[in-house]
Amino acid sequence: MSLLDVKNLSVVYEPRGAEPTMAVKDASFRIEEGEFVGLVGESGSGKSTLGFALTRLAKPPARIAGGRILFDGTDVAALDSEQLRRQRHGGFAMVLQSGMNALNPVRTVGHHFADIFAAHGHVPRQRRRSRAVELLEKVELTGAVLDRYPGELSGGMRQRVSIALALSLEPRLMVFDEPTTALDVMVQHAVMRTIRELQEREGFTAVLISHDLGVVLESTARVMVMKDGVIVEDAPSREIFERPQHAYTRTLLGHYADPRAEVVELPGLPADGRRTAPAGGGRGRAAAQAAIVVEDVSRVYPGRRRGDTPVAAVREVSFRLEPGQSMALVGQSGSGKSTLAKLITGVEQPSSGTISFGDLRVDRLRRRKLHKLHADVQMVFQDPYAALNPLHTVEYALTRPVVNFTGRSGADARRRVLELLEIVGLTPVEQFAARLPHELSGGQRQRVVIARALAADPQVLIADEPVSMLDVSLRAGVLALLRDLREDFGVSLLYITHDLLSARMVTDRIMVLHEGRVVESGPTAQVLRFPEHDYTTRLLDSLPQPARRFAAAGSDGDAA
Amino acid sequence: MTSLPANPPSPTVPAAPVRTGALRALQVFGRSFGTVWSNGKARVGLVILAVFVLVAIFAPVLAPYSPHANDFTPDAGGSSAHLLGTTGAGEDVLSQLLYGARVSIVVGFVAGGLSTLVAVAVGLSWGYLRNWLGEVVNFVVNLFLVVPGLPLMIIIAAYLQNGGLPVIVLVVVITGWAWGARVLRAQTQSLRSRDFVTAALFSGESASRVVFREILPNMTSMIAGSFFGAATAAVLAESGLSFLGLGDPFTVSWGSMLYWAQNSNALLTGQWVLLFAPGLCVALLATAMTLVNFGVDGLSNPRLREGNGR
Repeated sequence: MSLLDVKNLSVVYEPRGAEPTMAVKDASFRIEEGEFVGLVGESGSGKSTLGFALTRLAKPPARIAGGRILFDGTDVAALDSEQLRRQRHGGFAMVLQSGMNALNPVRTVGHHFADIFAAHGHVPRQRRRSRAVELLEKVELTGAVLDRYPGELSGGMRQRVSIALALSLEPRLMVFDEPTTALDVMVQHAVMRTIRELQEREGFTAVLISHDLGVVLESTARVMVMKDGVIVEDAPSREIFERPQHAYTRTLLGHYADPRAEVVELPGLPADGRRTAPAGGGRGRAAAQAAIVVEDVSRVYPGRRRGDTPVAAVREVSFRLEPGQSMALVGQSGSGKSTLAKLITGVEQPSSGTISFGDLRVDRLRRRKLHKLHADVQMVFQDPYAALNPLHTVEYALTRPVVNFTGRSGADARRRVLELLEIVGLTPVEQFAARLPHELSGGQRQRVVIARALAADPQVLIADEPVSMLDVSLRAGVLALLRDLREDFGVSLLYITHDLLSARMVTDRIMVLHEGRVVESGPTAQVLRFPEHDYTTRLLDSLPQPARRFAAAGSDGDAA
Repeated sequence: MTSLPANPPSPTVPAAPVRTGALRALQVFGRSFGTVWSNGKARVGLVILAVFVLVAIFAPVLAPYSPHANDFTPDAGGSSAHLLGTTGAGEDVLSQLLYGARVSIVVGFVAGGLSTLVAVAVGLSWGYLRNWLGEVVNFVVNLFLVVPGLPLMIIIAAYLQNGGLPVIVLVVVITGWAWGARVLRAQTQSLRSRDFVTAALFSGESASRVVFREILPNMTSMIAGSFFGAATAAVLAESGLSFLGLGDPFTVSWGSMLYWAQNSNALLTGQWVLLFAPGLCVALLATAMTLVNFGVDGLSNPRLREGNGR
C-alpha cells in the first residue's frame, strides 16, 4: 500500500465577498514509502495549497471541496485536532518557505526542541539535549547553536534549524514548501544538498514543492508538474528531463540553460552571438553620450549598535560604464550590488571615492540636484509589486516623469504615455493606461516600471534584479524588452543580478562582486565560460544543473 | 494660443477625461464606505452615529420646548407633557437632551477633526524629516504624551474660564493630537522606505508631492481611525469638563446637564433620569464611534475582511 494516496482532491478558496476559486482541481496521485517527489509549478498553480492540504494545514478561506487524502490508510481530513496533534509524531511534517521566520525570536533554539519533546513526550528528559544535538548534526549544525537565539543565526542556519525541528518527530512524510527560495543562491545550493543527503540517509518520504524545475530535477526521483490547479504531468525525473510530454513542461524546461555554454538560447530570447555588433541605427533619440565613471568608491555603514564594527558594503570599486554598453553586476546577496546601485543613482552617498556622470559629480549631489541626474539615469526596481503606488493608475505613474523631465503637458504628455506603453508592449494602450496596479500581473507591472524608467528619456538604465520576482515564463519577455531597448535607443544598461543566466543573455560585460570588491571582470561570455576567480566558479557551480546529474550518473541516475 | 501638436493627432489620443480624478475619489469613498458597512459592529456604530447626527440637526423640530424655558414645575417626574420630567430649575429634560446632542456632535467632529489635522501635519513631516528637527519634534510630542491628559485639560480650561465651546475645542485639540501624530509618523516612516516612494523620487517629484500624493493617500484608513479615536476622546472630554463645571454652565450640553443634576442632588430627590439619560447618551455616542473604528481597521488590512479566518 502506498504511504500517501490522494484521490480526486479538490481545494477551493472561498474568500468573503469574492468569487470562489478552485486552487486544486481533481488531483490524484500516490506516493510510495521512501520516495522523493517534486511538485513544480509557477505562482498561482496551486502547488502550495496542495502541500498545505496534505499536511492538514489548509485554513479558511481554503476548504477541501472533494476527494480524499489517505495517509497510511487513514483519511487525513477526518482527524480531529487531538488526533492530528498526536499523529505529528511519526506522521507528516512540513518545512515552510519562511521557515527561518517560524522560530520564536525570544526563545533559544534549545527551547524550541524542548517544547516539541515535551509536547509529545517521546524523548526522556535526560536524553533531550543529546537528542537535539544529534538532530542538529544531521542538518550540519553543531550543538553550540542550541543556546543561541534565532536572531543570532543566518537565514540558512535558521532554515536548517527548522528542518531539524521537523525531523525531531521522526516523520514518515516530509513536505518541503520552497525550502530555499528565500535564501541566497549559494546558501540555497548548500541547504538543498543537505536535504538531499538527509533524505537518502534517513529514508523518509519527501515532497519538494518548488517553482524551480531545475532544483527539483536535481534532487527528486519523480516530478509532478502543476498548472492552474491541475497536475499536467507526473513522471520520473529523468523522463521529464529527457522526454517531457506536456507542452507546459517543455516551456518550463526551455527556460533552463547553462550560462557556460558556447551559445545560450532561451525561448523568446535568441542566441547572444548576434549582439557583437554595436547598437547602431535605432532612433538615437536618447542615445547615451556620457559614461558613468566610478573610482575607488567605498561605502561603510556604521555598526547597528554603538561599539559594533562598521560594515563595509562596497570597497574600492572602480569601473566605467561606457555609453551604450551593457554591463552585468553579479554576486550573492550582501556582496554590495544594490548599495552600488544606490550610490550611482545618488540615493546614497559614498564614504570615499568619486562617481561622475558626464560633468556631474554624483557623489556630491545634494538632494535638490538629484532631479538633474535622474533626467539621464533611471532605475528599474526589483519588486514590481512594491514599486508602483497601489492607488495610482498606470497613466498617473507614467505621466509624472514625462511632465517633470520632458516638459510636455496635457494631450502631448498623454500621447507620450501611450507611446511608452506601446514600446513596452502593453497594448491596447488605452486600456492599460486606465488600470490600477492590482489589475496587472507581475510581468505587466514590471513593464510599467520599465516604461516609467524610460519616460525621462534616460541615457542610462540601472536594473536591480528586474526579473527575480517573476515566474520563469515571464522572465524571457522582460529580458528581451531590456535588450531591445538598449539596441533601439542606445541606452547604457547596468544589470544587477545574482542570476548568471540572465546576465549572459542581456549583457556584454560582467563584473563579479564579492564582499564589496570586484573580483573578476571582462566580457560576459568569456568570464562565464572560462572563470578565473575561485568565487566565480563557486557561483556558477551553485546553479541547479539537472543535465549534469543525468549525464554524470549515467543509467543508474535515479536509483539514488 | 493653445499649442496644438504640429502633426495631426492620431485618433487614439483623446485628452484625458477631466473628471476622472473626482469620479475616482467618489468611487474610492463609496468602496471604503462599503467596506466599513460590511463589518457588523461598524454598521451598528454608523446607525447610532447617524441617529445622533440627525437628532442634533433637527433638535428644534424634535424638541417639544426650548431648552432654556424654565417656567415648568421643577423636579417633576415623567409625564405626557414632560416625557423625562423636569430639572430642579424647571426645564424640560427631553428638550435639553436633544439640544445637548448638538454640542457633543459639534465638539466631537470639530475637535476630533482639528486634532487629526494637527496630527497628520506633524506626523507626516516628522516621519519624512531625517535631521535634527525630527529630534526636536520628538521631544515636544513626548512632552505632550507624558503629561497626563485630564489634569492638563483641567488646568488649561481653568485658566481660560468661561470661554465657551471654542475653549473646550482648543483644550481637546492641545491635549489630543500627540498620540495620533506618533502613530502616523511610524506609518510615514514605513511607507517612505517603500520602493514606490523611491520611484517617485526617480520620477522627479518634489518632496511635497511625494508626501501628499504618494504617502498620504496610503494612510487614509489610519487617518480615519485616528479621527474617530480623537472624536471619541473629544466627546468624553467635553462632557467631563462640563461636568466639572469648567465649561460654560449655561450652554445646554450633556456634560452641563450632569453638572446641574449633581449640583441639585438629583439622586437624592429621586430624579435619576437627570443623571442617567445624558450619561447614557455620552456613552452611546462614544461607543458608536469606537464601533465604527472596528470597520475602519478593515480598510487597511484586507485579512480582517476575510472574516472567518479569526
